[in-house]
Amino acid sequence: MYLALFLSPWILMYAVSTLAMNHRAAFNARYGPGPVAFDTERELVYAGFFPENAEPRAISQQILASVGLDGAHGVTRRKDGAIVINRNDLLTPRRLTYFPADRRLLIEKMPHRPNAFLERFHRRRGYATGYRLDTAWAASVDLVIVAMAFWVASGLWMWWEMTATRRFGLSALLGGAGLFALFLLLL
Amino acid sequence: MTFAYFNRRLHLYLGLALLPWFFMYAISSVPFAHNQFFEQRDAAKGLPLWTLRSEHTVDLPVPEDPAALRRFGAALLERAGIEGTSFGAYRQGPGQVNVYAYSFWSSTQLKYVVEQKKLTVEDRRFRWDHFLTGMHARGGFEQDGVLQTSWSIVVDVVCAGMIVWIASGLYMWWALRGHRKWGGLAILGGVASFVVFTMRL
Repeated sequence: MYLALFLSPWILMYAVSTLAMNHRAAFNARYGPGPVAFDTERELVYAGFFPENAEPRAISQQILASVGLDGAHGVTRRKDGAIVINRNDLLTPRRLTYFPADRRLLIEKMPHRPNAFLERFHRRRGYATGYRLDTAWAASVDLVIVAMAFWVASGLWMWWEMTATRRFGLSALLGGAGLFALFLLLL
Repeated sequence: MTFAYFNRRLHLYLGLALLPWFFMYAISSVPFAHNQFFEQRDAAKGLPLWTLRSEHTVDLPVPEDPAALRRFGAALLERAGIEGTSFGAYRQGPGQVNVYAYSFWSSTQLKYVVEQKKLTVEDRRFRWDHFLTGMHARGGFEQDGVLQTSWSIVVDVVCAGMIVWIASGLYMWWALRGHRKWGGLAILGGVASFVVFTMRL
């Protein structure tokens, strides 16, 4: 019970975000299909220096720390030499583009859309970012997985202990399992 | 029948009926959350993921309108002799259209390279982690067919069921006076952690 109460925000988020993804067409009709376009937030001349032959990852970490946006991100170097950093912020994802030729830094942010925010939340996982908060989130996702499996087992056990509910419970269980098996075979 | 009794029974029977989905979403989250582990494990086998089924010469104009791309994908599937399947059609750059046809158990990709007028059909090797993630990600109302739509309706029911479990669980917890303090702390701890993640991630 206490575990369920603690994890209820996670379960609520996964339920609501799944509803949003299941009805993506409705959001596409409202906001338009395809990825959300970025809006320019600010543009500046970046005063920092990088070591010669610095890797894109080192450059991105330095830039993000300099502009107060350090956190989980992906980075690529474009053919024209520009460094493109995608900062995976849950609330406001940003794209930072650094042009080494004129040391210009363009910072763009993604406008808020409820379904895009929920999808980002739903898909956030993994231990690879190297940031402690992301690792903690990934651990919490693992905890939700273990808890869900545990609730299945403990729920079955609690139901079986209540002899008065066995008949109707078995009907519900078999009905659900039968429908699931049907989908499994035919879909 | 009191509301408390109805609430307890709703929590129980809804849970039992939707148990296969709940369990499926739990175990299929493992390959999503630990994707690298499963990829490395499969790469160690040294087996190709896709095998060529057939190649066709096709000369069809690719529609500019993204809304018409699905119909174009259906036409490519027909040329490849694949019928009655769930699929998605995507532009892979200006000169290529990819179509993914899938069921829970199998997956086929079609690559149409416009310049070469060539349609390649490839089948994906079965992998348990892909089977699970495919089931997890299945949803939406874009596909034709009663079964496909029924699955998506059940996905909605499962989501609604989760929200009902939370509400009915909170009601049941509140009725247990002896558990209010520790339960309240658990809720506060969960909500506070969740808010920190939301603001800082």
